[in-house]
Amino acid sequence: MRSPFEQQLTALVRQPGVLACLVVGESDGIIVDTVAQSGVDEHAVAALAASLFRRARLSARAAGLGAVGFLELEAECGHICATGRDELVLVALTELRAPLGRLRGSMLQLAETLA
Amino acid sequence: MSDEIQRLSAELAHDPASLVFVQLGEMLRQRGQLDTARKVTTRGLERHPHHADAHDLLARISVDAGELERAFDEWDTVLSLAGDHVGAHKGLGYVLFKQGKLPDAERHLAAAATHHPDDASIATALRVVRQMLGAPANATDEQMPPTVPAAEPGRPPESEPPSEPPSEPDLPATERHGTGDDARLLFVELLGDGAQTAILLDGDGLVTAGAYMTEDGQDVAQEIGAELSGVRDEAQRAIAHLDLGDWRSVTFETEVATVSMAPVSRDALLLLAAARSIPLGFVRRTLTRCTRHAATWLEEEA
Repeated sequence: MRSPFEQQLTALVRQPGVLACLVVGESDGIIVDTVAQSGVDEHAVAALAASLFRRARLSARAAGLGAVGFLELEAECGHICATGRDELVLVALTELRAPLGRLRGSMLQLAETLA
Repeated sequence: MSDEIQRLSAELAHDPASLVFVQLGEMLRQRGQLDTARKVTTRGLERHPHHADAHDLLARISVDAGELERAFDEWDTVLSLAGDHVGAHKGLGYVLFKQGKLPDAERHLAAAATHHPDDASIATALRVVRQMLGAPANATDEQMPPTVPAAEPGRPPESEPPSEPPSEPDLPATERHGTGDDARLLFVELLGDGAQTAILLDGDGLVTAGAYMTEDGQDVAQEIGAELSGVRDEAQRAIAHLDLGDWRSVTFETEVATVSMAPVSRDALLLLAAARSIPLGFVRRTLTRCTRHAATWLEEEA
């Protein structure tokens, strides 16, 4: 069965440097839908990215900064990007070369449809 | 070289008397090309010796280069040309504060506040100086603008000096590190006019430098640091499991601010909050500069 996100996730993964895109439950880190290149541990990405996003969301709220719109973790070998809505988190795992500006725009657009 | 710098350079080469040297010098300064920025500005001043903003720029270049006395002289010149130049009053307030000349610093900051009542960074700087002088913080509240909004500061920096300094003289963590008010002003030179604020946290999540002001003038750096430093732990956990190498930064955009954090030496964490109006790329650049500055400061403190 095709999920409502498959087409958009596939489009995101086709962007240069994007290794995986997932829709994940924020509280449990369980995958709702995923499109990934081979070799990516999707379950680990889902769990860790959801946890990171949740922590940022709760911390920002506690600090009086309001809701988190978009999060990006930059590491030596790549990025984790995340945005969320209604208990769902849209996650992308990328290489360093990925064009983050474009990816951010696409992810925020897709996040509008999450529910 | 950016297109804009290239364009301005070409324009200046075509017309050496053009006033674009100020804009070009400012762009070079912001890119950290201080020697080139100084040359461009000095040459421009040879043709336009009474250009107050050019002297102001030269002063800010000098601050960036750590030459406070030269900066003082330039801002002094600015005031002789334009007595109500807010940037010069602000800058002189900063230099005099660094030199420990608090009454003089207070005088210039008060003048800046009078001329620019909407600049929250001046208000907080003034509050700090007055507290250090032992005067009531609201001694002349009728002249003081509201203090720095915590995370919705305002506009991109146009001048370096005083931005978002402290108000309460006894923040526990900075006191614990024996650095006090000087530590709270650690990032003042790198931040703009209150649109950004930065704090440095140690491995335990305690504030060691910087300040985070609320609208009512309270320094809530410790509270903000405690709430946000936990994100670092999650980031470290994620990259360790995903073999992504060392983490470099975490940035998240909230409804009222862009928050960016990066590791510094000795388990320290640099946390920067900027108004949403500031472009993300500029926030990243400021984060990098503050992180380097913090690392140097930690080495000196060790």
